[in-house]
Amino acid sequence: MSEVILGEMPTLSRLYLTAASTAARHKLGVGQQADQLPAVRHTVDGVHIAPERVSGFQQLMHGTVRDTLPSVFLHSVAFPVVMSVMTRPDFPLPLLGMVHLANRVNHLRPVHFAEPLTVTAWAEGLRGHHAGTQVELHTRIEAGGETVWEGVSDYLAKAVYLPGLDKALRPERTDFIPPQPTARWRLGPEAGREYAGVSGDFNPIHLSAVSAKMLGLKRSIAHGMYLASRVLTSVEATASEPFAWRIDFAAPVFLPATVAVRIHDTERDGSWEASEFTGWGERSHRLHFTGSVNTLAG
Amino acid sequence: MAASPDATGTRPANVLRKAVVIGGNRIPFARANGAYTQASNQDMLTAALDGLVARFGLQDERIGEVAAGAVLKHSRDFNLTREAVIGSALSPETPAYDLQQACATGLETVVGLANKIKLGQIDSAIAGGVDSASDAPIAVSEGLRAVLLELHRAKTVQQKLTTLAKLRPKDLAPNAPDTAEPRTGLSMGEHQALTTAAWNVTREAQDELSLASHRNLAAAYERGFFDDLMTPYRGLAKDSNLRADTTLEKLAKLQPVFGKNLGAEATMTAGNSTPLTDGASAVLIGSEEYARSNDLPVLAEVVDSEAAAVDFVHGKEGLLMAPAYAVPRLLARQGLTFADFDFFEIHEAFAGTVLCHMAAWESEEFCRNKLGLQKPLGAIDRTRLNVNGSSLATGHPFAATGGRLVATLAKMLREKTDAESRPTRGLISVCAAGGMGVVAILEAN
Repeated sequence: MSEVILGEMPTLSRLYLTAASTAARHKLGVGQQADQLPAVRHTVDGVHIAPERVSGFQQLMHGTVRDTLPSVFLHSVAFPVVMSVMTRPDFPLPLLGMVHLANRVNHLRPVHFAEPLTVTAWAEGLRGHHAGTQVELHTRIEAGGETVWEGVSDYLAKAVYLPGLDKALRPERTDFIPPQPTARWRLGPEAGREYAGVSGDFNPIHLSAVSAKMLGLKRSIAHGMYLASRVLTSVEATASEPFAWRIDFAAPVFLPATVAVRIHDTERDGSWEASEFTGWGERSHRLHFTGSVNTLAG
Repeated sequence: MAASPDATGTRPANVLRKAVVIGGNRIPFARANGAYTQASNQDMLTAALDGLVARFGLQDERIGEVAAGAVLKHSRDFNLTREAVIGSALSPETPAYDLQQACATGLETVVGLANKIKLGQIDSAIAGGVDSASDAPIAVSEGLRAVLLELHRAKTVQQKLTTLAKLRPKDLAPNAPDTAEPRTGLSMGEHQALTTAAWNVTREAQDELSLASHRNLAAAYERGFFDDLMTPYRGLAKDSNLRADTTLEKLAKLQPVFGKNLGAEATMTAGNSTPLTDGASAVLIGSEEYARSNDLPVLAEVVDSEAAAVDFVHGKEGLLMAPAYAVPRLLARQGLTFADFDFFEIHEAFAGTVLCHMAAWESEEFCRNKLGLQKPLGAIDRTRLNVNGSSLATGHPFAATGGRLVATLAKMLREKTDAESRPTRGLISVCAAGGMGVVAILEAN
């Protein structure tokens, strides 16, 4: 793999424009679509976090304004670097309309907001999916010379089939029976815009019903990372770093929505060990996400 | 200096003395948006205090300390109790403080002040509480609040305009208080619906408890039990929620209101849940010497108290189950069993709450696994439970409920002790938001 050091944090709005124009050019048949992942890592050094930005994020999540950074906040800090990889001209999949399938993160130690961060992102694991083509986007965040956070996001390019990749079999559907909830989230139509405001991720599918319709959705949908962060905020009092978490997304949460959530904690020797969680539509009974947070301590 | 007596001659004592309940007073409780719609928390608390002053001849008296609180509180009411004291017939030199422990506020004021009396720091005290769901505080939205605060910090016209531009139409909608738990977003009723279902408490059992509450309260009014515990206010002489003529058939017709989207069968109705209520209560407590020297009655002694909290946020325990833990701890410390009690006053937040607590104490599994007891605490004699009615019938102005329970139980104990010439004992149990519970023991001799 080659290394590309970016001089500064890329601007997400510009990257979305790049993605839109790439999509338009491909529609017109201009430009060559690659069929392999670029063997390159993008890195940004000396990333500084404004404390106001963290506070806004923590408040939106109904969390406590702390000096350490929420795990999903670190994802949003790194996301422009990930996007810069996905909008490269030699990236084989179209960014716009890509579906976020899952996230896996190891949060290895508490990160103070004043620590300068180094963010590196790359793509791996291009493979067939029953509905298109799947790819892993890897992120590593370092502080003080050590890795403090590493994450993998699984994305799906729907109805995109690349030569040389076998189409995967559709997994068997299992009926979802809602368990007893432990919480209810009332998400207003502005929930997507509000997350865009604190994360900087202005993906049109989250902003408004109109902008979402332009991309083929009936209404705007909640950001997957917003949902993940609401859960993580709810366990932050008990789950201390190092911990690992994962979230698997099912049906999207169309806004406005009332999401029922169950979080179940397990202990080992009297200390928190893990929290399993599930989110579903309170009335629709459609599964929205499942996941877990697990301690990585001793 | 430390040992010198103050102006009243109160000295810190090395040996704890007794704190006794002398009497109580409350205004009748009114269903929200009813008789007390125009009355504020301060108005109602003052009315309850003035009634107490009149009953016990406390005009212009400097009481050791007054403590009260409200759950739904306006920010202007930062000194609610002191303001009520200034507006009351008590001496304006009576100090006061506010306390807030959700629905346990009223009971906790009694406990805290009784402890000060036991320590010899004060000789007399008034404990109380008030709540208005009709005159509830409404706040501006978080968006508008943030802009207003930022506007205050802005120095230049340019900064002020930039700040104002952040206002969005939705920011103009106000925030009204609701009963949702901040960390779960589920209302108290929905939390209880989960617990009610987990303990398999039936609709019939809940309706029966509710019926008993209304019948007992109606009978208590009938025989004049509340005559020296209540002062009419705003045209109301009885709790307006009381339905003396309700029946199991009527209760059975009501549609469920909580737990309709929780998967299990919904059993909680407006008939077996407390309504939003307005009201205030006050309890006069003091040392035995204070009561004797002022020729005041002694109803019962405040013996001991215990608070508990449960981990409800991710459903490890039910939101309103803390009293199920507090009661066994208090019994163990006092070396008592349920058989040692003449009366039980278990606050009826919902009929399901009371029934879940009792089911837990009867459950071998709960008592072994959650309480670490070798055998269950056992059943509570239902003929000793809430015998003069409780919150399902009276209504539940959150912080005022503790004072109602203490005054009611103290009077019941005095009556029974006098009638049977033997000491009597009663238990009070109150659940509270945030997964808390406070319980206390009163005794009459």
